[in-house]
Amino acid sequence: MARTYLYNNHIKLGAKMVDFAGWDMPVQYTSIIEEHNNVRNNAGLFDVSHMGEIFVTGKQSLEYLQMLVPQDVAKLKNEQAVYCQMTNEKGGIVDDLIIYKLEPDNYLIVVNASRINADYDWFIEHTKGFEVKVENKSDVYSMVALQGPKSIDILEKMGIEKSKQPKSFYIMRTKLLNCDVFISRTGYTGEDGFEIIIQNEKVSELWETILEKGKEFNIMPVGLGARDTLRLEAAMSLYGHELTEETTPVEAGLTWSIDKDKKEQYIGKNVITNQLKNGTLKKLIAFKMTDRAIARSEYKIYSNNQEIGYVTSGSVAPSLGENIGLGYIKTDNNLKINDTIQLMIRNKLYNAKISAKNFIKKHNRVN
Amino acid sequence: MAVPENMLCSKTHEYVYEEDGYYYVGLTDYAIEQLGDIVFVEFPVVGEVYSKGEIFGTVESVKAASELYMPLTGRIIEIQEKLIENPELLNENPFEKIWLIKVEAEFFDEDRLDLIDYETYKKELE
Repeated sequence: MARTYLYNNHIKLGAKMVDFAGWDMPVQYTSIIEEHNNVRNNAGLFDVSHMGEIFVTGKQSLEYLQMLVPQDVAKLKNEQAVYCQMTNEKGGIVDDLIIYKLEPDNYLIVVNASRINADYDWFIEHTKGFEVKVENKSDVYSMVALQGPKSIDILEKMGIEKSKQPKSFYIMRTKLLNCDVFISRTGYTGEDGFEIIIQNEKVSELWETILEKGKEFNIMPVGLGARDTLRLEAAMSLYGHELTEETTPVEAGLTWSIDKDKKEQYIGKNVITNQLKNGTLKKLIAFKMTDRAIARSEYKIYSNNQEIGYVTSGSVAPSLGENIGLGYIKTDNNLKINDTIQLMIRNKLYNAKISAKNFIKKHNRVN
Repeated sequence: MAVPENMLCSKTHEYVYEEDGYYYVGLTDYAIEQLGDIVFVEFPVVGEVYSKGEIFGTVESVKAASELYMPLTGRIIEIQEKLIENPELLNENPFEKIWLIKVEAEFFDEDRLDLIDYETYKKELE
């Protein structure tokens, strides 16, 4: 199993380690619920070094990226970021990613750990005819996420005063610990915060320094367990669950991340344009359990004793004291928000209610 | 609470011990530690008979649901009701072993064959 450069830090902190996409990662240090709440109330530090960093440079970088994603990359200002998906010919999602425009003809793309190789192959495969260079630097860089309302105070303690910190969905290149870093105002928790990309050799020192400087703000190291409950409360999709090569951004409810006026062709555009106009056969919904039960991935969803879909993510929502989930249902039943659905759990049906995709108020909105 | 001398554990991490003619079944401290924050316990119906090996309930942590298997055949005569509202009590007292169900049973020797005492169970985990 692969280890990040923070492996020894995790062991020292007593983390419980699990396999995530082939990486030996901390699932929790103390308790998922405690870590979750601390990110909502104070701050948390995550090791997300397993994620990938791919750089696209060259004269035709923009044209090249325009061909790969439904977003309009031309609208990005220097140092601005955009959340989007890379789509295949069927409109299915190869991966969801964030594109950062560092400067003209120089883009950083952060991708999911489980998709680094698939993405890199996809990128390379489509360079044909474009004057671009694609480099996978995932093995060179590590990444930590500092998330929660106290993140801005902690980053200030690290030497970046608040007025200089990047705005939401912007990235800055600066120095921390005498080392070149990228700091972006992005995250996967629904809270304000930053993601910091640094060379592997310096990440352990960065990790320890942030935990030290963040002490007075009650920072905690946070594992992947809470990362999952935090993102689910924010109704953010997870690749491999809500997003796959068989689901389109329209079906996944990500139409806000599609530029409907984009003139340029991109892979899968025909399917996506058609779905935007005529609708889809399935759609992603959010739900809250009304019976006492917890939804889990792959449970079947029912309505009037008919199977109509399946759960993609489900858990307790520590911030709400409720049990929530996301799942796909067929669209031909005209179910809407507040309507009742059932989940088949251990051969029994339990009631749930379709909910708006805003379990919590997001503080670092991407949409 | 000290570990009862006659306590036996299963490979699926349930324990069972006898006291005053009844059998008490619960989840081992090791299993609870592994599960992390426990947020839900689903109990069997009181009065029903469950066979050895049958699923009698579910314990769910934040991450996952784990099924509970009967270590012996018997009738459920009581469930640990306080865990319905406060499942986290299992985490708070993992070494005080809160039993999950009280069972009326005849515990046959052949049903004990695949069970091991707590010391052996602990050693096998190492």
